[in-house]
Amino acid sequence: MTGDVNALASGGCHIFSGCGFPAPGLQDFEWKPFFTIGSVGFTKPMLLAILAALVVIVFFWVAFRSPKLVPRGMQNIGEVAILGVRDQILRPSLGRKGDSYLPFLVSLFFFIYIMNVMELIPILQFPVTSRIGFVWPMVFIVYFVYLYLGVKNQGAWGYLKNMIPPGVPAPIYVILVPVELLRFFVFQPFTLGVRLFGNMFAGHLLLTIFTIASWYLLSLSVGLIYAVGSFALAIFVFLLETLVTLLQAFIFTTLTATYIASSLEASH
Amino acid sequence: MSDKGNTKFTAKRVTAAENRAKGLDIGWTVSGYLVSGMLAYGLIGWLIGRAVHVSLLLPVGMLVGLAISIGFIIYRYGVQGAAAQPKSQRTSTKGDDR
Repeated sequence: MTGDVNALASGGCHIFSGCGFPAPGLQDFEWKPFFTIGSVGFTKPMLLAILAALVVIVFFWVAFRSPKLVPRGMQNIGEVAILGVRDQILRPSLGRKGDSYLPFLVSLFFFIYIMNVMELIPILQFPVTSRIGFVWPMVFIVYFVYLYLGVKNQGAWGYLKNMIPPGVPAPIYVILVPVELLRFFVFQPFTLGVRLFGNMFAGHLLLTIFTIASWYLLSLSVGLIYAVGSFALAIFVFLLETLVTLLQAFIFTTLTATYIASSLEASH
Repeated sequence: MSDKGNTKFTAKRVTAAENRAKGLDIGWTVSGYLVSGMLAYGLIGWLIGRAVHVSLLLPVGMLVGLAISIGFIIYRYGVQGAAAQPKSQRTSTKGDDR
């Protein structure tokens, strides 16, 4: 985090005290490395990503290490989590035949959700997915699965052919090829990644702005009224983000499920 | 709640989840076509424009791409979509005198 924000938090930098508002920006997404290995710095987002993976692995391992027919304790929560993904994300797109993809979708959903929700947990308070470098590998994995299943089930030529629905006259086919190729290989993966990144980036920036503004405006002056307003907005954005973190994980995983469904059989 | 009521409730939830997934997919596919059409034909127009020194071909290409995308969306989700739907679910008001 930047020196400006740290100085504001530790010092008495308030309105009318002579110091300007240290507006949050891109610098608040840059972290000093804890240590470096060669030329690679190990930063807070990296630590949080590892932590998120561990949380998912440990949670499901503890929940299902000795599963009982009548679930108790953690197994109950684990089953609710898995059934939630199965009934709300997997089955609506893939049906029962897609149940073999449940482990992939459950892992993806909870990994993204934990990384997102870290934004709202004190001390951690940073959404890993607001750094786009953490989003692209997930998009690549999803796209690899998507393409692999498509080619495996429909054949390379059949897969490309099935991108355009049947019954289209040959000249139209030719006209549509550039549009389909660009949509499939550029627009679709780009929006899949940028949607998640953009939402988390914007949410974190909003939270930072209103939190810092509340502290900065806090003074025995007219600023106090604005500080209260800013604090109320910070709480509102916090509540909104509890929804957004879940929604973005849901959208990413639902779209992955629909992509897999279209790979398993042509979309017509 | 009775078993019948439970089944009805579950069926409703399943339909809602299916519609949500379908809507999300169609929504992003349609916006994908709109942007991709403009970009693909904008690029083709720009490349031809560079070759023949006519800079106007970039916006012309974009407009052509947009027209192609809109036409295809109407065909795929309008004409084909309506044909794929059962007659009872069609929302056409043709012949409706209300």
